[in-house]
Amino acid sequence: MDEIVGLINKSAPLPVLVTSGYALLIYRRLTGELKIFTWFLFLSGFIQITSSILWFNRTNNLPLLHLYVAGGLVCLAWFYAGVLKGFIDGRIIWGGAILFSCFTITNSLFFQEIYTFNSNALTVESILVIILSLFTFIVLLNDMVKEQKSHLVKSLNWINSGLFIYYTSSLLIFYFGDLFTKKFPVFLNQYTWALHAFFSLVMYSCFFVGLWKRPKS
Amino acid sequence: METTQELSFINTLLPLVGVLFVIAMGVILLNQHFHKNLYRQQLEQEELKNLHQQQLLQSSIHVQEEERKRIAQDLHDELGAALSIARMHLVQLEQKQTDPELNKALQMVRVTTESALAAMRRLSHELMPPQLESFGVVKTLESVCDQINSADRISIHLEASDDLPRWPAAIELTLYRIAMEMINNTIKHAQAQNIRMVLSQESQGVQFIYTDDGRGIKKTISYGLGFKNMEVRVKAVGGVLETPSRPLGFHASLLIPLKPTVE
Repeated sequence: MDEIVGLINKSAPLPVLVTSGYALLIYRRLTGELKIFTWFLFLSGFIQITSSILWFNRTNNLPLLHLYVAGGLVCLAWFYAGVLKGFIDGRIIWGGAILFSCFTITNSLFFQEIYTFNSNALTVESILVIILSLFTFIVLLNDMVKEQKSHLVKSLNWINSGLFIYYTSSLLIFYFGDLFTKKFPVFLNQYTWALHAFFSLVMYSCFFVGLWKRPKS
Repeated sequence: METTQELSFINTLLPLVGVLFVIAMGVILLNQHFHKNLYRQQLEQEELKNLHQQQLLQSSIHVQEEERKRIAQDLHDELGAALSIARMHLVQLEQKQTDPELNKALQMVRVTTESALAAMRRLSHELMPPQLESFGVVKTLESVCDQINSADRISIHLEASDDLPRWPAAIELTLYRIAMEMINNTIKHAQAQNIRMVLSQESQGVQFIYTDDGRGIKKTISYGLGFKNMEVRVKAVGGVLETPSRPLGFHASLLIPLKPTVE
């Protein structure tokens, strides 16, 4: 069991790197919202590489997580603002992203310092992404939207599903993150993060399929 | 001890419930906002569809009117000229001919040619009255009234103030065609003695009121092609045609907005 957990934890960066590499490869051929979404993948890839380097050098890489949470949500807000353009006022999404950025900066400065796990920001980020992804599912079910975004619906559904699966599953891990780190033994912590790595693997696989099913012409 | 555990459990669980509540509320509020926007988009699409339909109608009526104009011109210029030349030759032959029998025959041919010429002129005018473009709908309808009144079958009266301006060609043509269709209907089916037409310019647009003292239209009657044509023409210029049912006589009110609905 420990071996499997170790393997999952060690191979966690792989799907991120593969998907962001693929996104880089096809970037020029992508259009509209998919192009915006690749910036989230590039950010994830960059953070993943840097944090792995820091981990090998036995340096605390948690400050990168603080950066990733804020930057990731801004990228996702940009993506969702593009997907939902015309169906929802973009200011709602951007307003939420700006408020969240202020919150995460305040949290990192005063409540959960940059060298600690930022469970508060991750929980709020998960809540926002769950709201947006659930809502996007509703929007994508509408016939009029299907008609307008017919070429992108498949890709958007895969990407949105990936985000929904990951953030709903990880919400509890983020919510109880602090508690896990402080109160539970190390092996249980590892199991939890192996589970998180699995969710991440599922999410990036969905992203990969989403990019694969992009409109070809 | 138990109370402390319960409190700790509640302290952990309650915020989680709050989190779920926030997610649910967020989705519901966004959904409501989305449906409002969707409704607005659907309305816009409907408007676009209507606009497109109106443009199609306008273009089809325009094509029809252009064709009428061409036929009227061809009739007048070609057939009219040919008949006039034929008549002229017949008159010359009549003058030269001394044989009374042949002269009588020539006279008959000339009279037939003249009636053909008159019928051709009437047809050409009906297809596209030349004075409509030059003098406007008021003068054209006045001329129609004079012609009908001269026949002494029915009395027709047009009320229009002298200072009425010229309206766009599409509106004038619509007014003329509708007035003619109504007059025709009255003469053919209504057994009326009097027709009254009022043409005025109101703040909302051009108003045309038509009344006769004939049999009127029963509510149960289905409208024919003529009425449908009128509706199409009115729709094409964004107007409203009302024909309220009355126990006696026919009444119609037409309002055409002057600000074009189609840009």
